[in-house]
Formats: sequence, structure tokens, C-alpha cells
Amino acid sequence: MLGRRGTLPFLVGPPLLWLAALFVAPLFLIVLFSLRPESGMVAPGRPWDPSLVQYIQVLKTPSFLRLLGTSTLIALGVAAMATLLAYPLAYFLAFRARARATLYLTLLLVPFAASYLLRIMSWKLMLGPAGVINSLLSSAGLISEPLDLIFTRPAVVVTLVYVWIPFAALPILAAMQRIQPSQLEAAADLGAGPWARLWRVTVPLSLPGALAAFFMVFIPTVGEYVTPTLIGGTGGIMYGNLISDFFGRGGNWPFGAALAMLMLLLTVVLVVAAARAVNLRRLIS
Amino acid sequence: MPVHFSRRAFALLAGVSLALAACTQAEPQEILVMEWDGYQDPAFFADFQTANPNVPVTFEYGVSDADILGKMEAGSQADVFHFYSGWQQFYVDQGLVREIDTTKLTNWDKVPDSFKEQGQIDGKQYFLPWDWGFSSILYNTDEIPEVTSWDALLNPDYAGHVSMWNDGPAAVTVAAYIHGWDETAITDEQLAQAEAEWIAQKPLNTFYWSSEYTDLCPGIMDGTIWVAYAWPGCYATALYEGTPVAYANPVEGRNSWIGFYGISADTDSYELALAFLDAKLADVTMANVVNLFYYGAANQDVMDAIEDPILIEAFGIDDPAILETTNFTPPVTDAQRTAWTAMWARVQAE
Amino acid sequence: MTSLARPGAGRRPSSAIGVGRTRVPLRGFYLTILILLYLPIGILLIFSFNPSQRLAFPLQGFTLDWYQAVFADGSLLRAARSSLMVAAAAATAATALGTLVAIATLRFRFRGRSILLGLAVLPLIVPFAVIGAAMFLMLVSLDVPKSLLTVMLGHSVIALPFTTLIMLSRLAGMDPALEDAAMDLGASYPTALRKVVLPLMGTALLSAWLTAFVVSFDEVALANFLIGGDPTFPTLLYGRLRFGGQLPVLISMAVLLTFATIALSLVAVRLARRRE
Repeated sequence: MLGRRGTLPFLVGPPLLWLAALFVAPLFLIVLFSLRPESGMVAPGRPWDPSLVQYIQVLKTPSFLRLLGTSTLIALGVAAMATLLAYPLAYFLAFRARARATLYLTLLLVPFAASYLLRIMSWKLMLGPAGVINSLLSSAGLISEPLDLIFTRPAVVVTLVYVWIPFAALPILAAMQRIQPSQLEAAADLGAGPWARLWRVTVPLSLPGALAAFFMVFIPTVGEYVTPTLIGGTGGIMYGNLISDFFGRGGNWPFGAALAMLMLLLTVVLVVAAARAVNLRRLIS
Repeated sequence: MPVHFSRRAFALLAGVSLALAACTQAEPQEILVMEWDGYQDPAFFADFQTANPNVPVTFEYGVSDADILGKMEAGSQADVFHFYSGWQQFYVDQGLVREIDTTKLTNWDKVPDSFKEQGQIDGKQYFLPWDWGFSSILYNTDEIPEVTSWDALLNPDYAGHVSMWNDGPAAVTVAAYIHGWDETAITDEQLAQAEAEWIAQKPLNTFYWSSEYTDLCPGIMDGTIWVAYAWPGCYATALYEGTPVAYANPVEGRNSWIGFYGISADTDSYELALAFLDAKLADVTMANVVNLFYYGAANQDVMDAIEDPILIEAFGIDDPAILETTNFTPPVTDAQRTAWTAMWARVQAE
Repeated sequence: MTSLARPGAGRRPSSAIGVGRTRVPLRGFYLTILILLYLPIGILLIFSFNPSQRLAFPLQGFTLDWYQAVFADGSLLRAARSSLMVAAAAATAATALGTLVAIATLRFRFRGRSILLGLAVLPLIVPFAVIGAAMFLMLVSLDVPKSLLTVMLGHSVIALPFTTLIMLSRLAGMDPALEDAAMDLGASYPTALRKVVLPLMGTALLSAWLTAFVVSFDEVALANFLIGGDPTFPTLLYGRLRFGGQLPVLISMAVLLTFATIALSLVAVRLARRRE
């Protein structure tokens, strides 16, 4: 019969093996690719000398670095706003929805099964320069030029927040579910009003969930490219577009790999620094 | 000892007979095609399917010429692959393609000689021309009376209503046309000038389009975009929907490109691949290309049979002068392509 | 719960838990988000009956042609089914693995604990297209054929960070005394986990599974690199959209898929409630 210690290998083993085979190994290939000096055609069989040429090329291009910085800031903003807005949503699901929480939560996620591309096309129909909103406003005489609601950077930010809110709510909800009613009752007994209970009991106890939500949104948003492509317009490009272009149309995997590794490095550094600052260990253990 | 021996012998015998059996197998009866997204539709190999209903046709996908070449290089098992003009030399240089035995193609005579030539390297027919089209400027005639030059894409008068294709080599090509540069010999100064001009164009540009039917066509048809770099697809679509558009014949000439199929050098289904390519050139399949995708067909019989006035207009069938001034996409070296895509990435990031 | 049933105990009953009901329109907020999420679906629904090829007003009539075309086109339905299978499998794998990581990280102290957690979350940093390209390279060098299975494996990796973070949030701070009590009563650790811990995490497990499902179901960048002969629905959709004339049929298919997912979810929720 397995005790705690004996179970550990079964807990750690499968994920580790899975990740090693399906993620670490491919990632290693990407790192290798980023060290290839030639750009473009990349037959794996050909011999080559490792070089930092690709990285130097990236670091020598100020517009790429600026774009990385901007994308990181955008990601921070989106993560913060999505987490803040997701909080009341999670609260509703945890403390108000009760028995129906599962249903309400499922309803939130179902729309994501419909193609993102098609949903964005619908939004374009509503918000585009020739779309419903602009047509209504201009036929009501309120505007003379159509409003730039899409094909701008703010449109990308708003869309990303909109898309992330339901997902950000999930870790927060998960954390809120360990809050016992007795804890809140105890606070009430001690004279805490509703807002005080929120601030002193609910928020601290659900903080790990909020942090998880923040990182869950921040990390992938740095490299986001789908939404900028669909509604960013000329000025809404993000760093991820560069990476995806070089892996796709641009056909320059070594350069794309270098771009990706730099983004990875920056993100890891930021996340580790933030985790230290928040003293994550204390929260987790 | 004897047991050991005979077990070994048995294994050896079994192995040898299996190997012999494998060798005597006929060519495997299935074909893997390296294709662009969208061409997996059975309409685009209808004749092959009719003649060979039991042969499965499977696909691997590439998102660009560079991607397809990269995947073929990386060792893809595809038997045939589909790419567009300018990339022929790479496949030949790397030994990725096998010469096509045109004597076995029943539809080969329907292909115009000029197209056949485009698919030849050093006199050898490595590639089969299949689809072709123009790139030119599509514009809304209600907003812009006439477009006579490629510089319309950089004209400040159309600020906020321009859409350029998201492609570096195309951007360099347009700059080359406007300034009269030799596309095959772009200097560093010329490239830097093109970069500066495209960066200056950014405020005029509403969005760069990547996908014809989801990005560009809606923009043209709802009037957001007045002038765009475009293929005939959106031209025909907009005409069918009644949008007042025209497809320019700029003084510098239109650009034209041809799509080719090549047979992989590693394929073990050479005969089947030939049959597949032959069927690709057949009338029904080629007519589908014209009618479903508004691309030209390498099968001249099919082109001659077009009656739809909108398609005749889109392909410039009635006007031979168009083809005379058309610039076919020349082959690009690896270094050039890398430099041009890097330039475009800088323009985007700026 | 019990506090609400004791109005005579001199407490404020309705605001005993959480923030005062009337002051913050939490339900309204939820409904607003829900409406914003379903609005594009509603538009797609409207246009799935519209005879025109374009997504534009004014509407041109009513037709069921597009839905007929969906059912006449076997490849669309096959692709949808493939996506469902891949997403379900990937979600299950990702949820299981994410739970294992969460338990290992929070209940144990061992060397490499942070590395395990970091690795589980790392796929989040790498864009899907890059992971796809990398896995493609690996498959090609190992001469492994691409198929729906390879897509599923790729999706399980990219979904893992989400499931891990959700399960981590649920488990963090959950009193280990519960497991200890079970073990004191003679249960092995795996049994304690199975019978005590997991049931308490039901909603979180569902959230994790649904998130992973949804991530996989609509994913195209990685799938493009890893599919073999059978397309998933998103890859088929992107491919078909290269043609004019395909948009309305694809819209109808997307609408059908959404409603099918809603129906399935409602059934699943019903079943789950019966169990309780």
C-alpha cells in the first residue's frame, strides 16, 4: 500500500515524461535552430556551426526591441484588466450562483467552441467603418466620419481583455471555492461589514487564484498574434506577429526561433522576478 | 547449441523472406500532396478521383512558398508539391524534384508553350504549370476614377483606404515597378529606399491583408478599402456582388505568377504521381480552378471555353495587350528573399 | 448555508456571506459578459439563414440551403467529429497531468519542485506556431507520421499550463489534514487522493477540462503543422475560407457546433447534478 512518499514518483513521473518528450525536446530543437547561422532553408541534415548571428540581428534592430517592449506592456495591461474584471465574475460564480455555478461557468466557455475567426468577423460587422454601429451613428447624424473602432491598437487590447475574462475567472473561482462560509461568518461575528469581509477574508484567500489568473493571461499575450492580425490593422501589430511571420510566410525558422527565444527569456525573467516579489512560495505552501 | 543455431537461422530466413516480399510489392497505392490550404477540396483533383476512386489522396499543408520548401527540405514524405513562381531553382539545386516524363501526360498538349517553359530548368521539365493569375491594383471606381500606376498604393490622397498584401517580396516588387528598378538586382540603397517609402505609407494603410476572402474582399465590398494590391479573386467576387470596381492595367505592367506542381525526388509512387498531375490538367479539374477560385488554368482549352463576361474581364482574355506588358515573377535568390522579408518585418514593427 | 437559515439569531441573514446583495450588481455583470460573448454567435445565427455570400446587412431573405449543404458535405461533419475527439482526448490528458502536477507541487517538498511547475507552465510562453514547428521537426526526424493523434499530443501540451494553474489554485490552501485523516483511517495515499481530495475539486476539474477542450477545439496554428490526412474543423475552416462562396456553409456549421456544445454541456451538468 502506497504511502505519501511512495506515491510521489507516480505524481511526478507522467507529467515529467510527457513534457520531456513532447515539449522539452521540441523546445531544444528550437534553441538549436536559433543558433543556425544561415537564414531561410533549413534542412536538418546539413552540418552547421553554431553562432549567435540571429540573436545579434534581432538585438541590432531597434524596432523589433521596441515592439517587444510594447507587446510586454500591452500584455501587462491586458492581464491586469482581465484579472480585475474577472474577479467579480468569479465572485458571482462562487458565492451567488451556488448550485448553478457549474452551469453558469459552462455557459461562459461554450462560445469559445465557435470559431474565433468567425466571431471576430461578426464583431467587425458591428464595429467596422461600414458596420452597424457606425451606420447607425452616421444616419442619426451624430458623426460625419466613421469611428475607428477596429484596426487600431486599442481595439486589440479591448478584444484581448474581452476574450480573456472568462478564462481568468477560472483560477480565481477555484481559489474562492476553498473559502469556508464559517470563515466569513467568523469575520461577521467579529463585526466586519461586507466590504471589510471582502477585503480581509475573501481577497487574501483568493489571491493565489488571482495571481494564477494574472500570469495565465500575461504570459501568452506577450506572444499574441492572431487578434492583432485580425483586427489590429497597420498599427496594431504585436511581437508575436513577427515570430509567426518568420515561421510561416517568411520561411526563416532560425530567425523566428531567435525572436521566440528572446521573448521567452524576457518573459521568464519577468515572471520569476514577480513570483519572488510576491513571495509565491509562502502563498503556495 | 543446435537450438540456438536454428532459431537464428529461422529468424534470418524470416527476415529475408519479408524483405523479399516487401521488394516485390507494387507501388503503394496512395498519394500524399504538399498543398496550400484550400486545395484539398476534391474539386481540385476531380478527374483523378473519377479515374482512380480507390486511391486515397492525402495532404500536408504549407502556408507559404518558403514554408513548403522548408517542409520538403526537412524531409516531408509528400509525393507531389505545389508552389508558385520564383522558387523553381531551389528545388532543383537541392535535388528535391524529379523530372517529369511528359510523354506520359495526355493533357500536356493543352498547355501553352510559354507556360511549359516557365516550368523548365536547363531545358528539363521539372515542373508542371497549373494555375496562374495576375497581381494588380483593385480599386473602387466610385471613389477613384482611374488608377494608372502602382504608386496608387502609396498615394496620400487615399489615406485610410489602402490595403497592401502582407508580403515583403511583393512590396519590393511594387517599389521596383514604380522606380523602374531591375527586380533581380536590387541594391542595398534601393532596398533601403523601398523600406523608407513603405514605412511612410503605413499611415495611409488601413490593414495589411493576409487572406483574400476574409480580409480583403469584405473590405473592398463594404467600401472601407478603395485601393488594394490584389489577385483577380476579389475582383471577380466584387463584380459578382455588384461593387463598382476595376482591375488596373498600370503603365509599369501587371505582375503575373504561375503555380507549379513538382514530383518529389524521394517518391516511390512516380507513376501514380504522373497520373495525378495529368489528371490535374484535365478539363473538369481545371474548369473548377477557374470557376471556384477565379484563377487562370494552364489548360488552354478551358481558358478558351470561358464565357462568363466577368471572368473574361478578370483574366484579360480579350485584351492581348495586357499580357504583353505583364511582368512574370522572376526567380529570387535565397539571400534576396531573406533580405526582403527582413525589410518587411522592420516596416511592420516600426 | 446554515447561517442563512437562522434569521432569528440576531444576525443580518442575507449579507452574512459576501458583499451586500443589492449594492453590487454581480448578476448583472455576469449577464452582461454572457450577452457580449453570445452576441457574435447570435449574428452568425442570423446570417446562417441569409441567402447572401456576404456578411453584410441588409438581410436578403431566409434559406435553409446552407444547413442542407452542411449535412450534404461529409467532410465538414468528419472534421467536426475529429476536432471533438482530439479536444476531448487532449482535455482529459491535460487535466489529468495538470492535477498530478498540482498535487505534487503543493503536497510535497522535493528537489526540482519549481522545475516541474515551471515546465508545466512554460508552454504558455511559446507561441503555438513555434511549438507546432518544433514538434513537426521532431516528428519528421523520428519519421513518425502525422495524424490526429499527433495533434492531440500537441494540444495536450499547450493546454497543460491552463489546467495546472486552475488545479493549483483550487488545491492551494486546501487543508492536508483531510488526506491525513483518510490515511489514519487506513487508506493508501492514492486512495485518499481519489476518494477525499478529487471529489472536493469537482468544479475545478470541470473548469480545467472545459478550458483545455476549448483551447484545443478552436486551435489552428499548431494543428496546421501536425495534421495528417484528417483535418480538424478549424484547419478545414481556414482552408475553405480561401475560397469565395464557402463562408455561409462554414457559418452554419459553426452555429451547429456551438449549439451542440451547449446541448452536451447541459446534459453533462444535469448528469453531474443527479450524481450529487
